[in-house]
Amino acid sequence: MRLKRDTVAGGAFVGLGAALWASSGDLPVGSLAMPGAGMVPMIAIGLVMVLGGVLLVRGTAGPSLSADHWSDADHAIRVVVATAIATALYTRLGFLITVPLLLFGLVGLVERRNIVAAAAFSIGVTAVAWLLFAMLLKTPLPPVPWS
Amino acid sequence: MDSTLDSLLLGFSVALQPDVLLYAFVGCLVGTLVGMLPGIGPLAGISILLPATFGLDATKAIVMLAGIYYGSQYGGSTTSILMRIPGEAASVMTCIDGYAMTQKGRGGAALCIAAVGSFVAGTFGVIMLTLVAPPLGAFALRFGPPEFTALLVLGLVFLAYMSSTSLVRTLLMASVGLLLGMVGIDVMTGHFRWAFDIPELGDGIGIVPVAVGLFGLGEILSTPSRSVTTKVVSPRLRDLLPSRTEWREAAAPIARGSVLGFIIGIVPGSAHIISSFLSYALERRLAKNPEDFGRGAVAGVAGPESANNAASTGAFVPMLALGLPTGPVTAVLMAALLIHGIPPGPQLVTEHPQVFWGFVASMYVGNLMLLALNLPLVGLFVSVLRIPYAYLYPLIVMFCILGVYEVNHSIVDVWIMLIMGVAGYLLRKFDFDPAPLVLGLVIAPILEMSLRQSLVMSNGHWSIFVQRPIAAALLGLCAALLVLSALSILRRRRDWRTKLAAEEAGDAA
Repeated sequence: MRLKRDTVAGGAFVGLGAALWASSGDLPVGSLAMPGAGMVPMIAIGLVMVLGGVLLVRGTAGPSLSADHWSDADHAIRVVVATAIATALYTRLGFLITVPLLLFGLVGLVERRNIVAAAAFSIGVTAVAWLLFAMLLKTPLPPVPWS
Repeated sequence: MDSTLDSLLLGFSVALQPDVLLYAFVGCLVGTLVGMLPGIGPLAGISILLPATFGLDATKAIVMLAGIYYGSQYGGSTTSILMRIPGEAASVMTCIDGYAMTQKGRGGAALCIAAVGSFVAGTFGVIMLTLVAPPLGAFALRFGPPEFTALLVLGLVFLAYMSSTSLVRTLLMASVGLLLGMVGIDVMTGHFRWAFDIPELGDGIGIVPVAVGLFGLGEILSTPSRSVTTKVVSPRLRDLLPSRTEWREAAAPIARGSVLGFIIGIVPGSAHIISSFLSYALERRLAKNPEDFGRGAVAGVAGPESANNAASTGAFVPMLALGLPTGPVTAVLMAALLIHGIPPGPQLVTEHPQVFWGFVASMYVGNLMLLALNLPLVGLFVSVLRIPYAYLYPLIVMFCILGVYEVNHSIVDVWIMLIMGVAGYLLRKFDFDPAPLVLGLVIAPILEMSLRQSLVMSNGHWSIFVQRPIAAALLGLCAALLVLSALSILRRRRDWRTKLAAEEAGDAA
């Protein structure tokens, strides 16, 4: 049996709602006259689960999850991995090291452009961005660790 | 009327200050570029540049961000007409006849008609905003917590009713947004909700990482670089002037598009997108030769372009007068005002007249700037599209990280942006529109507070929402919209059944 797109999406939202419900045990719901911190979140969780359930039930008649639909996923994963590495390094190595690495990674490695052009682009853009933000706009960018 | 004119004069005294003019110019310029570049819509552009306005005062910040918004409507038409690439969703309808005009050698004239139509509609929208927003704001002073609760629920239902995707999907996205908006410390009791041992979540999830993630990074993840190819066509300056017949054909659609766009702009939903579709349909219905549509009809460019500009101005009415964001762009603009300590809503006109009237006046000036910018410099703008996408999107990723980090100097925000980017990619794959999620996130604190205050006021009786006339009327409107939606679903089902019965009858025969 082929998986249906809306069934998967609906199931995911019902699961998300259930997980949040389970992790909200300590939230005080209060009473209608004095609603607690948990009342409106519980209503929102209920809405997510009900609407997710409707999608799940109606999804059986909807379109299937096709492999063609995900042909760009490899590109998306590479961009996400590069961005995640840059995020992990951003405050550790600072702007001046992380940003050229990110740009070089995306242009040179993900997009497989000419290595020299990618390096020149990465260094040039970082220098211009540094001048613009750190020097001109006085934006405090994360410094390199030894500065 | 006199007081409105006096206030408008005050606004011009603010808007014509050299530094405010500079930020309006920067906003219009960036907006034009944002509108032209595929993959970055006005929402992503505004979200990415929002942190850059933190050092400015509220007036300059809102003037610049609004300039990006309405500038992007102008910019979107350029690539639609010359290259059949809608820089942003509202320009899709302009592609059809705009590009057909370019193929006939009338691309310059189409650009000029689009720019003049946008200018007329934008100016009409600002005049209406000037006249409508202050009295609406004064009326909204009668609103208490029950009325605000009903108004916010109406906003969500209206958004779902007008949405291009299904009612269930839109409400589901809005509910997820509401949940995200409830993360952090509860302001009424001090209780920590869903903190997961991350102290940074105490202040809640910010709109910037969510919006930048969903619309900036999410759009990049959904756009593989190999799918972006651009053939740049640049018209000559002398080709920009339309003929007398073309002006005549454009006049009425511009007028109709302006009125229709402004009215649709006031109601919640992706107004500027819907308005351009409706205007195109209206013009085709009213045309003497509807068969010309799709083959370079002037009305097919003039109508939708005017409508989407008037709608983007109309969307400011509920935002400024009621403090109600009608779409994700106005939600981000509202967040910008809140970050600067200025709550939009009924008190804005009376408590911060410089900001309100300065903003309104800057829109008159901004529309003039855009007209002056877009026509003579069209060749220059178009050359930006020569930057290969493989080099452009890494720049956007860099700005996403830089911009989000600078809001609170928090790397947790950057991680939230990355998670939201992945969520945005997945949501698009499953045919969800992420815009209602942002709206839900923005209104969550206001909705929760007003709902709880209403219940406390009534000692726990829901009847408070039907005993107060304004709240009852607003909720009645909600019910009517839901009934209309249900009827349309039932009608569709009957159509489906009828079709199946007909097919079966055919088989039997």
